[in-house]
Amino acid sequence: MILTSLDESLVAAAQGGSAEAFSRLVERHQQAVRTFLRRACGNWAQADDLAQETFLAAWSRIGRLKTGASVRAWLCGIGYNKHLTAVRSASRDRVREASYQADRDDVIDACSEDKLALEAAMAELPAEQRACVALCLAADFSHAEASEALGLPLGTVKSHISRGRARLLQALGVSDDAS
Amino acid sequence: MTPAEKTGADDRLKTLFALDEPAARDPVFSTEVMARVMRRRFQEDLAFLSGATVAGGAALWAIWPVLQPVLVTLSQGFAPALGVLALGACALVVVGGRARAALGLAS
Repeated sequence: MILTSLDESLVAAAQGGSAEAFSRLVERHQQAVRTFLRRACGNWAQADDLAQETFLAAWSRIGRLKTGASVRAWLCGIGYNKHLTAVRSASRDRVREASYQADRDDVIDACSEDKLALEAAMAELPAEQRACVALCLAADFSHAEASEALGLPLGTVKSHISRGRARLLQALGVSDDAS
Repeated sequence: MTPAEKTGADDRLKTLFALDEPAARDPVFSTEVMARVMRRRFQEDLAFLSGATVAGGAALWAIWPVLQPVLVTLSQGFAPALGVLALGACALVVVGGRARAALGLAS
């Protein structure tokens, strides 16, 4: 609650033109945005570029953010739209999908087989499903928050998470009788 | 799958996801973002000032035939007074600067 009110006061100050307040918002939400975009697009360098563009767009649009709205959901929504714009470029898309696993190998060299299996399974998920999984299973977003961030109906988000979760657990060799 | 097993599976997923999370606060990332924000702000200011300058110049050019006779008339009347004011301002800057230096107030 206190963190939310801190966000609100920072947003109000940033809407008044305070670059310092905006800088604190960047500090507070950079991990959520970068993590989400890394999981959504797979390419870390591109994800960080998109995260920077996300905050740049947020600076321009901060005046449109409604009082009481979730800042991290709003930022992830901007990031997701930027990601989709990048995905629509067919050549970039092909390069990204082909290099998804290759890019990860350098970074997660020392990680377990489970981690590699999870990354491979994430790469195979459709973009929307991957985004829902990245927000709700990996980043503690509520379904409603993910729905707001991604601009998807709540039922669709729940369905994506259920299917995505089942596919990830299958890749890890865990049976999922609950789904 | 029991609820306990389901929670366990979700925890396992979360643990694996957490392995490659970026740092909570990355000063390099923040600095790069704020540098881009400041650059954007500067460009916007520059664009606004350039536009205002061009608009002001165009307006001045448009009304110059009307404005010029008025300015000529006014300048003839106010020239002595403006000259005295300019000299006074110069003296104030020079003497004021010396006085501040003498008092050790000048940076």
